[in-house]
Amino acid sequence: MTNVLLYAVHLFLFPGLLFIVVMGLLLAGIDRKLVARMQNRVGASILQPWYDFLKCCGKETIIPRHARKGLFLGAPVACFVILISAALFIPVFGGLSMSFEGDVVVILYLLTAAGVAIIVGSAASGSPFAGVGLSREMVAMISYELPFVLVLLAVGALCGQDSAYGVTFSMDEIVRWQTENGSSLLHPAMIPAAIAMLFVIPCEIGMHPFDIAEAETEISEGTLTEYSGAPLGVFKLCHCVKMYVMTALFCALFLGGLSTGILLVDALLEVVFCIIVTFLCMTVPHAICARFKVEQVFKFYWTFVSALALISLLLVWIMR
Amino acid sequence: MLQNMIDSSMKKSPWIFHINAGSCNGCDIELVSVLTPRYDAERYGFKLCGSPRQADIVVVSGPVTMQSRERLRRTLAQVPEPFCVVSLGSCPRSGNVFKGSYAIDGPLEKYVHVDVSVAGCTPKPEAIIAGLAQAAQLLEEKRKEARK
Repeated sequence: MTNVLLYAVHLFLFPGLLFIVVMGLLLAGIDRKLVARMQNRVGASILQPWYDFLKCCGKETIIPRHARKGLFLGAPVACFVILISAALFIPVFGGLSMSFEGDVVVILYLLTAAGVAIIVGSAASGSPFAGVGLSREMVAMISYELPFVLVLLAVGALCGQDSAYGVTFSMDEIVRWQTENGSSLLHPAMIPAAIAMLFVIPCEIGMHPFDIAEAETEISEGTLTEYSGAPLGVFKLCHCVKMYVMTALFCALFLGGLSTGILLVDALLEVVFCIIVTFLCMTVPHAICARFKVEQVFKFYWTFVSALALISLLLVWIMR
Repeated sequence: MLQNMIDSSMKKSPWIFHINAGSCNGCDIELVSVLTPRYDAERYGFKLCGSPRQADIVVVSGPVTMQSRERLRRTLAQVPEPFCVVSLGSCPRSGNVFKGSYAIDGPLEKYVHVDVSVAGCTPKPEAIIAGLAQAAQLLEEKRKEARK
């Protein structure tokens, strides 16, 4: 009985639904505020993403005549559920909610599936703008997926060097190795991978300089063109949740050794480091860069960022 | 309680969609300047959005030319309820210097109910912000009325 209760708490309260959504909204709000401050503006309040979400829920939901109704309305919900389940596999420093051998691969697949849900939703809306948006979303996915996999491989190779296969795909193993040997960010071979990951995060989320799929001035919001009302709100919420998922993944992969073992301290550390990572990889590029072109994003990720991740992987193999 | 929270967030996050109905670009530039660091309308939650489906406040500038008439009508039909229409500058209300031209088919009231009208050629950014803030208040009232 207590087991079931604990499981429910895990699922809905602490590392689960409530914590993830609150953290996502908080990170998005702080990001907006920091961008405003960097541009010498006052900026919207930190609660702004929360107001945006509520407002969207209060608006009329229009379903276009050419849309496939089921897919059109199901895609945002699917995207949200997929992201929440991905977040459940990511440890809050020490505190794991669920883990098994190979959950890194599951996280990778779930994050891709969330992107696919957006693509399905926009394809079902039957709008040519959404069509352009989804093709750009696919290009973005192809761009960041290669360096992302390389980064995960590098971390897996470092933290799994004592295991039977020489590489690990278990979050549990990665965090355990880091608590024993110190955070992997302190390992010299991991610094290029960490930089590569910092570049992967904004593209994965679709933050400003890399938001080629939702370019609001070019292709009128791209993938979200036809969405209005509550489904739009859910997509905006997914965007916020993705910010938490990716920054928490960075913390788990590179800063896992900071775990103190006390749940409250760990959660606070997680909040602080998520905000720092958000600032580094999302706020700064947002404030200083204009949007990239589609082919620029592709080229940048397949040359520079992939090279950084590959260097890390090679260094790990050499330094063993 | 949730409904009340939605009501109050209506006025805190108004997203703007801008339609240029044959404007000379003067008002459009002033509207953009409202969102720049100097005037920073984002501190009230205003955001320029790219699709009429996501708009709360539709800002129309220009004297509604024959060319833009049909596009204006179709765009306004795509905005989800509740929404506000703000006319920007003198042109949408009176035709301004273009009045009497064979190429225009104004005023804007012929096509849609105008909630707030910001006068001037071109209006000052302060006036535009005041008009938009008034429209944001109206949004909340419209939502409350729709619930009753």
